[in-house]
Amino acid sequence: MNCEEYRTQLTGQWGDGGAEEVRLHLAHCPSCAQYYRDLRLVKAGLYLLKNEAEPAPSLGFAERLVRQLGDLSKAPSVAEFFERVGRRFVYTALVLTSLALLALALPATGPVRGLTVADIQTTTQEALLAYSDPIGESNVQESPDLAPSEAPAPTGSNEGK
Amino acid sequence: MDDPGAQATQDVEWIKRAQQGEPEAFGPLVQKYQQRVFALVFHLVRRRDEVEDLAQEIFIKAFRAIRSYNFQSSFATWLSRIATNHCYDYLRHERASRVSFYWQMGEDSQREIESNAESLPADALNHEEQTVLKDLVDRLLARAPENDRQILLLKELQDYSVEEIAEILNLKPTTVKVRLHRARKRMLDDLRQWRGENKGHEL
Repeated sequence: MNCEEYRTQLTGQWGDGGAEEVRLHLAHCPSCAQYYRDLRLVKAGLYLLKNEAEPAPSLGFAERLVRQLGDLSKAPSVAEFFERVGRRFVYTALVLTSLALLALALPATGPVRGLTVADIQTTTQEALLAYSDPIGESNVQESPDLAPSEAPAPTGSNEGK
Repeated sequence: MDDPGAQATQDVEWIKRAQQGEPEAFGPLVQKYQQRVFALVFHLVRRRDEVEDLAQEIFIKAFRAIRSYNFQSSFATWLSRIATNHCYDYLRHERASRVSFYWQMGEDSQREIESNAESLPADALNHEEQTVLKDLVDRLLARAPENDRQILLLKELQDYSVEEIAEILNLKPTTVKVRLHRARKRMLDDLRQWRGENKGHEL
C-alpha cells in the first residue's frame, strides 16, 4: 500500500485502532503519522463541539411564535399573494388554451362537428333541387344567399305576366 | 402522555389541525420540537446569538409548508430537513475566517495539544486546550465545502445515524457513507494544507 491508501484506511476507521500493518507504516512515515495526529485532533475537537451545551429557547418562545403565526395567517404575505395570483393566471391560461384547441379540433374530427360553408351550400342546393313548384310562383332569385349561377332555373316562369 | 403511540397520535392530530391553518395547533408541536431544532441550528451554524432567530424562521417556514407534509417520514425528520436547508442557505452567505487561536500558539504548544488529543480523552484536556481545539475544528468546518460541512455536522455533532442523514438529505445510505468518508478526508487534507500555509506565514 502507498501513503494515500494508508490514509484512506485511517480515515475509514476514523481513529478507531488500526491494523498492525498501518501501525508499522505510521512508525516509519512522518507524513502519515502527522495525518493520524491531525485525525485524532479533529476527532477530539468534534467531540468537544458535540458536547457543548446547546442554547435553550427563551421563555415563551413557542407562545410568541404562535402569536406571530396568527398575525401572519390574517395578513397573507406579498409572496403568497403573487403565488395565488400566479396560480390563477396559470389555471386560466390552461383552460383558455384547452378551449382554443378544442375549438380548432372540433370541426375536423369526431362524430359531432359544426357546420361549414360547404355544408350549408350543399344543403341549400339539395333543398332547392328537391323543391318542385308546380304553379311556378316561387321566386328563387329572392333568396340573397343563393348565387345566381347556383340557382336552378325556375320551372314555369311567370315573367311574361 | 408518555406512551410513544399516544404521542404520535397526538402529533398527527396537531399536524392535521395545523394543516387546516390553525396556528394554535402548531404551538404544541413547537413546544415539543423546539429543543431539537435549537440543537440542530446551533451545531450547524455555530453562532449562539443567531440560533433563536433562525429557529423562529424555521418554524414559520415549517408552518407555511405544513400542508406539504404527507406523513411519509416522521415529523421530526421533515422538520430537520427544513432546518438543515435553512441553515444551509444562511451559511452560504457566511465567510470562513482564516484566523484560529491554534495558529497563534507556538509550535511546542501545538505539539502538546496534538499529543494530548492523541493520548487522552478529549474531556481530560485542560480548559485552554479545549477552547483552542474547539476553535480550530469550528473553523475547519466553516472552511469545508457546504456539502461536506452539512454531512459532517449531522453525523459528528448531531450524532444522526447514516439512515437518518439519508432521509434528511434525500440520499441513499451508501451515498451518505461515501460522502462522509470523503468529507472527513478533505477536512484532514485541508488541515494539512492550512498548517502548511501558517508555517509559510511564520517564516
